[in-house]
Amino acid sequence: MRKFLLMILLFLTSTLLAKYTEEVKLPSITFKMAKDENFKVMQRNCQWCHSYGYILNQGKQSREFWNKSVVKMRKAYKAPISTRDEKIITDYLFKHYGNGELK
Amino acid sequence: MQRRDFFKLSLVASTLVLTSSASTLLTREPLDSQQISKIAFPEKKPLITYSDRPPILETPIEVFTKAITPNDEFFVRWHMPSIPTHKNIDLYTINVLGEVHNPLLISLKELKNDYEQVEITAVMQCGGNSRSAFVPTTSGIQWGNGAMGCAKWRGARLKDILKKAKLTKDARWIGLNGDDKASFNKTENFMRELELHEIDDNVIIAYEMNGEELPFLNGYPVRLIIPGSYSDSWVKMLNHITVMKEYKALYYMDTAYRIPDNECECETADNLYKKTKPITSMNIKSVIAHPTSNTKIKVNSHIIVKGIAFDSGHGIKEVLVSVDGGTSWQTTELGKELSLFAFREFNFAFRPKGKGDITLMVKAINNIGEEQPFAKDIAWNHGGYKYNGIDSVTISVI
Repeated sequence: MRKFLLMILLFLTSTLLAKYTEEVKLPSITFKMAKDENFKVMQRNCQWCHSYGYILNQGKQSREFWNKSVVKMRKAYKAPISTRDEKIITDYLFKHYGNGELK
Repeated sequence: MQRRDFFKLSLVASTLVLTSSASTLLTREPLDSQQISKIAFPEKKPLITYSDRPPILETPIEVFTKAITPNDEFFVRWHMPSIPTHKNIDLYTINVLGEVHNPLLISLKELKNDYEQVEITAVMQCGGNSRSAFVPTTSGIQWGNGAMGCAKWRGARLKDILKKAKLTKDARWIGLNGDDKASFNKTENFMRELELHEIDDNVIIAYEMNGEELPFLNGYPVRLIIPGSYSDSWVKMLNHITVMKEYKALYYMDTAYRIPDNECECETADNLYKKTKPITSMNIKSVIAHPTSNTKIKVNSHIIVKGIAFDSGHGIKEVLVSVDGGTSWQTTELGKELSLFAFREFNFAFRPKGKGDITLMVKAINNIGEEQPFAKDIAWNHGGYKYNGIDSVTISVI
């Protein structure tokens, strides 16, 4: 009897364990970003690692704030952002998500 | 909720105007993204959604009327964009290696059967919870008050696992690594380190949360639980425990999750304090979950103020409420103490006698006499960590 109960218990445990039999698909959310001639540069550099939600969540910020953020992505997180793209992305972010202040 | 946040921001902003140079200040509107999303993530109700990749979800304030946060409303914060699904869970192992005589590959079955099972109810809170209160804006997710939750965790003690692995005499640090992955090989994965003396009997590798398996987004199948500490080291989808002789320099240890190493733990944007320390132990905090700021009530009607309070494990002694903007304080009724590390519910019934706006404030005091400062007295730090100002909600009596 005890063996039987143990087997039921084991069966229950194993069914509980087999929870994710398929790939867990996370929803894709559209964070709408401003479109201009620099949009694509921002897109191809930033999107590798994170959604635009990260950018929008920071609110309107200074040029220095955005530049530091871009540089941090290269230095701390090793994103391959060229110096040329760094400037373009900073311009883009400050133009659309800037507060008008340089510092 | 937006008005509430705005109120908080303006309070902090107005204090800073008095104390630091005006050029560094920005008065800011509350963030639109703090609205609850229409889209639900797997095993979650619709939550405040900051990012889908990596997933970053915040618990709405109304959930904190209860001491236990339901799994489907529990906040989510990953760092890396790629989170694998463990489809064949029987193959999942926790690898214990490094300075050990007996390296281990622990399956989930072994974790559940070969070690003593322990349960602890504890608060998990991001170090950056409530970050949106800091002005000027710091980098990092601009959380409201919902980057926290409290659950009953079940698992095996990390200590017991290390004991079975038989540490060498030189072992001093352990590195913890989850299974989420960065987009670039060169990007450091999310790895954290603990010094051996930080690992007490409460530190567990949990496979159960509120009586169920961990949701995928909360680190299925296992995560580390360190009651009393901010959740930066509560590594999700934990699969590597590396025992080391020495501390290893890591981005997520040396740069992120650090605060100024001075008495006020504060600095200004123009003059950052050079020496920093990890955020570690949580400070005392409470939030008002009900009513919310946009509430209108009729004069002479009954209202019950509800919320939760917690600290790092000394335990909550009392929670005080003010209905006159912080001039006088009254005691509230406390709920059951689920554990020293858990949320403690409070409630306070009152009946407003006159029309107009009323500012409700709540302040927690713990068993060693620590209490929360006023929001205006919270000093800034560059990462926007450890905010614990007295929470305020303004309601209209009509």
